[in-house]
Amino acid sequence: GQEFQFGSCRVEGVVLQELWAAFRAVKDVVQAQDNITGVRLLRKEVLQNVSDAESCYLSQALLKFYLDTVFKNYHGKAAEFRILKSFSTLANNFIAITSRLRPSQENEMFSISESARRRFLLFQREFKQLDIEAALTKAFGEVDILLTWMEKFYQ
Amino acid sequence: MKNILQWSPPEGLQGAEVTYTVRYFIYGQKKWLSKSECRNILRTYCNLSAETSDYEHQYYARVKAVWGTNCSKGAQTGRFYPFLETRIGPPEVALTTDKKSISIVLTAPEKWKKDPEESSISMQQIYSNLKYHVSIYNAKANKTWSQCVTNQMLVLSWLEPDTLYCVHVASFVPGPPRLAQPSEKQCVSTLKDPASALK
Amino acid sequence: DGVAVLPAPQNLSVQSTNMKHLLTWSPVVVPGEIIDYSVEYQGEYESLYMSHIWIPSSWCSPTENPECDITDDITATVLYNLRVRATLGSQTSAWSTLKHPFNRNSTILTPPGLEVSNDGFHLVIKLEDLGPQFEFLVAYWRREPGAKEHIKMVRNGGVPVLLETAEPGAAYCVKAQTFVKAIGRHSAFSQAECVKLQGEALSL
Repeated sequence: GQEFQFGSCRVEGVVLQELWAAFRAVKDVVQAQDNITGVRLLRKEVLQNVSDAESCYLSQALLKFYLDTVFKNYHGKAAEFRILKSFSTLANNFIAITSRLRPSQENEMFSISESARRRFLLFQREFKQLDIEAALTKAFGEVDILLTWMEKFYQ
Repeated sequence: MKNILQWSPPEGLQGAEVTYTVRYFIYGQKKWLSKSECRNILRTYCNLSAETSDYEHQYYARVKAVWGTNCSKGAQTGRFYPFLETRIGPPEVALTTDKKSISIVLTAPEKWKKDPEESSISMQQIYSNLKYHVSIYNAKANKTWSQCVTNQMLVLSWLEPDTLYCVHVASFVPGPPRLAQPSEKQCVSTLKDPASALK
Repeated sequence: DGVAVLPAPQNLSVQSTNMKHLLTWSPVVVPGEIIDYSVEYQGEYESLYMSHIWIPSSWCSPTENPECDITDDITATVLYNLRVRATLGSQTSAWSTLKHPFNRNSTILTPPGLEVSNDGFHLVIKLEDLGPQFEFLVAYWRREPGAKEHIKMVRNGGVPVLLETAEPGAAYCVKAQTFVKAIGRHSAFSQAECVKLQGEALSL
């Protein structure tokens, strides 16, 4: 069966089609709220040419940020737009992935994890430069970019 | 990846002499860009394939209408993501028959290109997990069966001689739901088998 | 003001087979009255990050039956809390919560139904359509001593799929099991079904 292989981190029990279906159901509503079209948080510099080894660190950092910051603070809007069902599917599948991600903590992986951390900081810095409401809406609206990147590791 | 922007005339102005101007925007960049071939046009569509050819970017498009001295507000699309939203065309299907076999050669659909002279990019290069769903109908036995293949050459052997078989093929890419267009149905007959004619 | 006068539903339980999940409970009985029920769920995310948040079930908020198909609500392989309450006019019972959270990886997987046929020398199989979550692992072999078993993955049920171009006159046996990516589990194999292809060897 298919699973995520972020380098040595393998994650079973997540069906990417379920996440796609959930986001597709809310894409237009969410992206229509994002008026700052001149800013893209998940820019090419964040996600392009990520090595397999980096991918476990970067996916964990991004997914945890989405759980701890984006979903947590966007929940009110999700209720307001009546998209709680899709919101819950995405959040719970991100929980299922992060709970199974075990990035290696060994010393020789330090430079790789640092490289992944620099990519994540690029994303986070861009996020923090926006008003929080706008940043949350933009980050949630970019889940399709995130899923497209994750799909490269779904084999 | 042939991306056509389409729109309807303003309400109540069907048939009136309305001209349109299109502009497009790359999500995350700073300026609205214009396309000269779609400035002050009468038609209600504009081919933005060249402008949206980097399929990993996302885009917006906007159309303004002018009627006499009246100028409309711009109507804007949602965020368009070619990589996810393009329809996957059917492969080219070439059939050759023998007494008891049909060879099927599939050629992946090609990415849209502006200039026919340009080198082609196969959709297989963009979607490495592109597969084909091959359906075969035996007209004599009125039976259908299918096969999912990734390679581009398929031989159906041990078929019944002198029998009409119809084949159609759809490309599909596992992952997010994408629209796909099956190929036209092609029918061929296997050749007569002289040996069974003698029996 | 009519709050919690109505008894709460009891004996909540989930029966799950082939990724179809049915929540059931004992009906609340008030002679001569029709009771409505509302079902809500929260996944691990909600219970970890915002435990006060519950989401109304897709199909059962409200419902008159003492059961609810929660398949469309359980969309991740994590623990889900489920709760039900009864309503009669303005009267509303307390919530009754499932004692043990439910995870879809506990679903019972049954062997798939299959039909084996042939079109001439083509061995064709049609597997039970169990929905998009299911893939199938098909094993087939020639019915003769020492025959080698071949394995093929079939992505969807409900459509006839070519298994093998068989040898004329040979008999083949086929069995199948389901595989569910979402929970990384497979069912037991089905009974083997055999088919004999007519005809003697034909020259190619």
